[in-house]
Amino acid sequence: MRSGTLLGRDWRLAWTFLAPLGLIIVALIAYPFAYGIVLSFQHKLIGAPATWAGLSNYTDLLFGEQYGGVFRASVVASVLYTGVAVGAKLVLGMCMALLLNERFRGRTVMRGLLFVPWALPTVIVALTWRWMYEGSDHGLFNLVLGDLFGIGPVQFLADPRWALWSVLLVVIWQGTPFYTMMFLAGMQAIPADQYEAASIDGANVFRRFFHITLPWLRPAIVITTLLSTIWTANSINFIFILTNGGPVNTTLTFPMLAYQIGIQGRELGASSAVSVIFFPLFLVIIYVLTKRMLPADAKAGV
Amino acid sequence: MTGPSRRSRPGRRSGTGRRIVLVGGLAVFAIWTVVPIAWILETSVKPNKDLYGEPGILPKTVTAEHYVELFTDTDFLTYFTNSLLVSFGTTALSMVIGVLAAYAVTRLRFRGRRLMGNVTIVTYLIPPALLFIPLFQVAAQFGFTNSTLGLIPIYLIFSVPFCTWLSIAHLQAIPIELEEASLVDGCTRLQSLVRIVVPLLLPALAVIALYAFTQAWNEFLYALILISTDSRKTLPVGLADFVVGDVYNWGPLMAGSAIASLVPVLIYVAAQRWVVSGLTAGATKG
Repeated sequence: MRSGTLLGRDWRLAWTFLAPLGLIIVALIAYPFAYGIVLSFQHKLIGAPATWAGLSNYTDLLFGEQYGGVFRASVVASVLYTGVAVGAKLVLGMCMALLLNERFRGRTVMRGLLFVPWALPTVIVALTWRWMYEGSDHGLFNLVLGDLFGIGPVQFLADPRWALWSVLLVVIWQGTPFYTMMFLAGMQAIPADQYEAASIDGANVFRRFFHITLPWLRPAIVITTLLSTIWTANSINFIFILTNGGPVNTTLTFPMLAYQIGIQGRELGASSAVSVIFFPLFLVIIYVLTKRMLPADAKAGV
Repeated sequence: MTGPSRRSRPGRRSGTGRRIVLVGGLAVFAIWTVVPIAWILETSVKPNKDLYGEPGILPKTVTAEHYVELFTDTDFLTYFTNSLLVSFGTTALSMVIGVLAAYAVTRLRFRGRRLMGNVTIVTYLIPPALLFIPLFQVAAQFGFTNSTLGLIPIYLIFSVPFCTWLSIAHLQAIPIELEEASLVDGCTRLQSLVRIVVPLLLPALAVIALYAFTQAWNEFLYALILISTDSRKTLPVGLADFVVGDVYNWGPLMAGSAIASLVPVLIYVAAQRWVVSGLTAGATKG
């Protein structure tokens, strides 16, 4: 299909149309990205000139006294936070999708309702839950606990035993509908005769789920989970508003650590190093996703 | 693309067990979803003496005082206007840039076409949190700091790659013959794009608009670090400022939250049909 000339038949027009996208990619994504890597090898305070630091930002984070402890805490928090959130959203999203895929009266209304959390601004969701978690007996949860069980106010966000789980509940509340949406769309593509054949064979609900629904949904599950892993691991809004990384660093995921070192501590070099250390993980996910999300004809290699 | 398909109906032989699971499950999810939303609305109409006085779950009296305070004593209206401005700007630019780029990638022959398809997806997947420290500096170099409209180019980073990718997926599903006929009839590429392609692309454009708008409307981190002057802040940052230290003003805050949430929720309800098909364009592939 390739035309005879070296640059392709329509190259002038094509690159004119692509110029704005190209400008954004080069000036606002590629350049900051490269600059971030350079920063991670520098000592750079906001507003002050940079000096060369070699690998010291990295060694400080991995083994140093100032950052070593918080960095290890952030690895633990990031893994727990992302793993639990993605796992729970996957399971709950699947349950929600299975229920909403059934036929019942008011299904459209129910779908609309259950998807609302996903449409709400994250900051507002976080602020609302902060108010529900309020540690005095005016917060909703403590009101209920006090009224029904007579349990004195629980410090959901200030107690190191509860903080991470309290934040996770919020993340799961807002993020589950996205999974549901993706799975529901995938379920529409499963041919009905698959289920009919299985019913005739006498397969029960669980057999039908594991032998038909799940295999057909595999692509949707993989894409949704990987996308959500990237977004969840990198989200900062919930933690910023609910706990600000505390108590005792139990919710200090790596974007929050980067924020604390870079914006609050004004130390841009070490802060960039935090992001750079975590990037290879995402590179793997991005690579797998890119192959799956490629437009069909680019995949065929036109 | 999901495409037209027969609706699958697992478990059609209805039994009591199925009904119990269905009704029970839906009830649990409905309560789980509604409680926080109801709490926003309830707090926004509860007088302060009930909020901080004798604890109680249901409001004893209803008041509009928080809404009045929101508009008279705070900068809420300014934040709201700023957010509208930034969101509309981001949406319009994302649509134009995305459609032009997608048209080039799917309809024109040139070297580097496959590469651009790839680059678009990779840039969509790069997480914003990885870029915010260097972008904080870069934004200063370009003069985007402390300006409401300066947020627009930043937000384009997150909306344009997705918009382009989605347009590519949709354009591939539209047959090329109509356009070829218009080109034979003497239309230029741009005319054919505006008259033939854009009308066919309307459902995708609805999703793109929704995505870009809500993305800009909800964004917090960049607005937080780039803008310091109060009158230039957007809604999420402005509302978060209501919680200062240990002084909480939950009434006006929840009133503001209710109004700020209404915008994306209304857009989403109006476009719900397209959202599911559009967002999942890639979900059933490969």
